[in-house]
Amino acid sequence: MSRRSELASPASANQKQAEMSAVVTSSPAAAAAAAPTKQRRRRVERKPRVAIAITAIFFVLLYLPIAVVVLFSFNSQKSLTVFKGFSFRWYDEFFHDHDMIASLGMSLKVSAVAMVGAIVIGVALALGMVRARSWLGSYAGFIMLIPLITPEIVTGVASQLLFKGFYIHLSTTTVIVAEITFSISYVTVILRSRVAALNPELEEAAMDLGATRWQALRLVTLPALMPAILASAVLIFALVFDDFVLAYFTTGVTPEPLSVRIYSQIRNGVRPSINAVGTLMLVGSIGLIALALVIPRFFGRKGGLDILSGE
Amino acid sequence: MWNWLALPGTLWMSAFFLLSLALVLLLSFGTTDNNFNPHFGTSLANVKALVDDAYLKVGLRSLVYAALTAVICLVVAYPVAYAIALYGGRFKNALIAAIVVPFFANYLVRMFGWSVLLGDDGPILKAGRKLGLPASFHILNTNTGVILGLVYGFIVFMVLPLYAALERMDVSLIEAGRDLYGGPLRTFLTVTVPATRQGALAGLVLVFLPAVGDFVSAQLMGGPDQYMIGNLIQQKFFEGNNQPLGSALTMVLMLVLLVGMIGYLRRARKDEQDAVR
Repeated sequence: MSRRSELASPASANQKQAEMSAVVTSSPAAAAAAAPTKQRRRRVERKPRVAIAITAIFFVLLYLPIAVVVLFSFNSQKSLTVFKGFSFRWYDEFFHDHDMIASLGMSLKVSAVAMVGAIVIGVALALGMVRARSWLGSYAGFIMLIPLITPEIVTGVASQLLFKGFYIHLSTTTVIVAEITFSISYVTVILRSRVAALNPELEEAAMDLGATRWQALRLVTLPALMPAILASAVLIFALVFDDFVLAYFTTGVTPEPLSVRIYSQIRNGVRPSINAVGTLMLVGSIGLIALALVIPRFFGRKGGLDILSGE
Repeated sequence: MWNWLALPGTLWMSAFFLLSLALVLLLSFGTTDNNFNPHFGTSLANVKALVDDAYLKVGLRSLVYAALTAVICLVVAYPVAYAIALYGGRFKNALIAAIVVPFFANYLVRMFGWSVLLGDDGPILKAGRKLGLPASFHILNTNTGVILGLVYGFIVFMVLPLYAALERMDVSLIEAGRDLYGGPLRTFLTVTVPATRQGALAGLVLVFLPAVGDFVSAQLMGGPDQYMIGNLIQQKFFEGNNQPLGSALTMVLMLVLLVGMIGYLRRARKDEQDAVR
């Protein structure tokens, strides 16, 4: 990684160029020798047009369905396929649809509670897991990985059975519990590598200066992790808000979370207002995820995608 | 102290995840009474019921769909990851972010967008018919539609590991290949492809796993003729009210994935050992 970026960085490219021009100007013989090299280099670096064309098409297709939903959310007519003119009527309809608003409120509530729960449990788990040199640490490292490779439908089925098996009625609480379970894995994966990268000597130094273990954790370790914690909190909020499968399997009757309601609408007769809801959801989650990517930058860290991969 | 910090999360995951999986396993040997209430038991009826042509067909279809999806994702994502990793310059991170961000946005809404675009009245088929496409040509409610949906849904899991592998690769290797008079294709096949094999393998697994359990694409882009194992599970739990049978199906799905996962891990470990040697 570092080697590659070194090669690609403009500084080293400039340096190479400078070296080359120095050679060229110093002696005609060297210039003659450099010429074919230069030519060959150009051939090596010829851009793969096919790959670039595929990439361009890929980006178009990636955003095409999103563009369609956004465009038709402003349609003045009922049609889902022909754009007749610009209007806000479907947004108006959405904001006056009490069921939809109730679902929106429910989704916001579930996301907020699940976010807090998953962060509290997940941060503690990540810290404990990395630092504890015991069977508990390795067991935790194993158990938090399984939800990530389990298809959502399995997790959904399993959560529903768990609640029903203990005669717990499906409700807001059951959705929140299921979402927290899934989110803990995410938080832990993201934070694990950050915790491992921390210098434990900082904590030891704090304790040498008279801090208790708890104070060292609160005043030294947690602030160092704060960018990653905030970024994963935002990410979890968006993921839970958008999640459909788990919510679908664990929700009670009313009000259903927004994605569950959208799903039943898509299945049983679409209203054009779905485009308006869809647009609001897309804009909301795209905004939140973009925010999660840049949060570390506010703290002067390198922002970026590693927040999503946990690398 | 560290053990105490890890304890609540470990307990939570054990209770709400492992225990729930164990319940699914138990219930797959259960029965239903006349009111469709599930009961635990030791019946093999569900397992036997699964050995039926109808279920085998759906199971096979799920595997084929997921495998095709993984391969198509590899073919499409490779040039994309290649172009961005080697020619993205300073826009590299922005481009990858532009791929990742929409994938975390609502899956249902994006899939709905596709179903409008590809529908019989949608702009794509309308334009196609003007250009001479027969009226009998459909995309929705066909295998193509479902696989397109799956590819769209999960291709990000292919782009990321491939990009990481290409990004990690030492470009001077390509230059060395060229210096040794390898043609572009030969250099690509003997230098770039082996260097990114791990990433491709990881991508295939990461796409296959969620694709084989998906039920949204088969529902929105296909129909009952395209149903996958996920759709059957959903039906048993919501419409058919046969939760023990649904649990048995879920266990079969888990088993398939477990076998795939173990196969992948062994393969990856072998590759690593070969690389060390």
